[in-house]
Amino acid sequence: MRNLYLPHLTTIKTAVQETFDTWTFELEFQDPALRESFVFQPGQFGLLSAFGAGESTLTLASGSLRRGSVDVTFRKIGRVTGALASLNTGDTIGFRGPYGNRFPMELFKGKNLLFIAGGIGLPAVTSVLYDALAARGEYGTITVLYGARSSRDLVYQRQIAEWERRPDVNMVKTVDPWGVTEGWDGMVGLIPVVLEKINPSPENAVAIMCGPPIMIKFTLQALEKLGFSPEQVYLTLENKMKCGLGKCGRCNVGDLYICKEGPVYTAAQTRRMYPDF
Amino acid sequence: MTRLTRNNLDRWVEALLAERIRVVGPVMQAGQPVYAPISRPSALDFSSVIPRNSIKDFLFPQTETVMLYTIRKTGVEVTDAKPAGGEFPDTVILGARPCDAAGMTSLRAVFTWQGEEDPLFLERLARTTVVTLACVRGDACCFCTSVGLAPDAPAGSDLLLRETVDGNFSVEAVTDKGTHLLARWAQYFEEGAETLRPVIPPPVIERSNVEKMLGWLSDPANYSHEVWSEHAAQCLGCGACTYVCPTCHCFDLTDEGTAYQGDRRKNWDACQFDHFAAHASGHNPRALQSQRWRNRFMCKFHFYPTKFSAAGCVGCGRCIRVCYVGLDIAEMMEKVSACADRQVPDA
Repeated sequence: MRNLYLPHLTTIKTAVQETFDTWTFELEFQDPALRESFVFQPGQFGLLSAFGAGESTLTLASGSLRRGSVDVTFRKIGRVTGALASLNTGDTIGFRGPYGNRFPMELFKGKNLLFIAGGIGLPAVTSVLYDALAARGEYGTITVLYGARSSRDLVYQRQIAEWERRPDVNMVKTVDPWGVTEGWDGMVGLIPVVLEKINPSPENAVAIMCGPPIMIKFTLQALEKLGFSPEQVYLTLENKMKCGLGKCGRCNVGDLYICKEGPVYTAAQTRRMYPDF
Repeated sequence: MTRLTRNNLDRWVEALLAERIRVVGPVMQAGQPVYAPISRPSALDFSSVIPRNSIKDFLFPQTETVMLYTIRKTGVEVTDAKPAGGEFPDTVILGARPCDAAGMTSLRAVFTWQGEEDPLFLERLARTTVVTLACVRGDACCFCTSVGLAPDAPAGSDLLLRETVDGNFSVEAVTDKGTHLLARWAQYFEEGAETLRPVIPPPVIERSNVEKMLGWLSDPANYSHEVWSEHAAQCLGCGACTYVCPTCHCFDLTDEGTAYQGDRRKNWDACQFDHFAAHASGHNPRALQSQRWRNRFMCKFHFYPTKFSAAGCVGCGRCIRVCYVGLDIAEMMEKVSACADRQVPDA
């Protein structure tokens, strides 16, 4: 019987320091067969091992069309992410996955896409964005609203600059009012406030969102005010996980095991959930 | 009727041990009944109502290596901790209580859920034969009859023994594995008439109704009902209830070792611990102890039956016996049933 808990081995191909405490690793599978065969769907996640420290759950942040390697972005905040942060290009990281459900890309076709992300939530939705940009003609307008506590906490600054240059992407970046630093050229304000300012139309649109619980709470209210129905809003609920396989018992929101039945839900679905956030 | 005399039971155990089969049964340790591996049949003591631990210990151990890793300059090597066969002991659990045996079918449901098969649990289960001894009486904490089980419920057993008035056992094969065991050790079993000891089942908690509870628990609006915070106010969050519970399945995966090598372990964990579901950011979806207590109760009476189609609570009563502050799950079953009664308008 296959050992579910045995990770694949990957090598850190490139390592980018995004902010003072956040890194992006491109991970290449060491097994050549797996480099060929590994596929995932936007929204799925993996369990990353820093050997000796343990495993952490991270959403796969690269586009699903890339072969041979995947990107993950993490903030150094605990034991495992601290150990990951101490690794360098060429070092080995364990990988289990892909796990979880996915964003229904087929339902997004022809729709206007509104991405809303806060802080380290952006990497959880970029797989959808990359896939949409790879088939740009199949989607309507693309708006990316991304905010962080301060301009020093924004991840993916190079990609943001790229999206800002694209005429077919409306890139809106913002920082909290107390997080402005010299030279900041984006907006200032909390995400729900900025969202109401940019006033996106709910017509033929879907919102794709990830961020801290407090941001989600108020942004859902703002979306409702703008006329978005809960069926139009997609969230990825990242809870604490250990196994990713529906056994270890900690990611549940009421009767739902986020690792197997999530992490992607519509706001309509989250409304029917037990208030366990 | 197939029967097993107490003398033959002892000889059978000796024969099993001689074949290097691990025999687990109820023994007295420091004045407490516990399930433990035995090295001689005289250690077996069937006199207690129920051992303190559950037989889960031998199928889903408190700590278990899932993988070994070695970190070298050239990279990392990982090894499956489970080389083809061999490592898991062939085991006969002798004198399991029916509630314990039933609990293993619940654990199996979790460890095979959605086709994700936990090889460690399943391998141990495949090598284990559960020989259950039906109860003749319960204690004040037993409530199997209130969760659809009985003192001689066969679920999860391979063989079911019943005590006879003259101190022997009647034997019933429940599964093929049980039949094979009987055939393999036929010399110790015989045919003959027996008079069974009378059984005094634990009284059914009349004001509790599992079906009714399920309906009330299914409504997310009742998640914030004051019954939760009232009942669980004293809970210390020690997690003892989860460790003695036959169906509690939560675990942690942690690396233990030196900077160069070690093993990844699957260790028991408990939804009662404050950091259990806490995010690295500090956000905790179940920050209050009453919310964590609610989660365990919900798991038993809602998540298990609806999600895993299995019994979440087998009525063994261990969580009641072990609780330092006397929190009583059966009492909560009554309270929740009463809430359900109040919510349903009279027809």
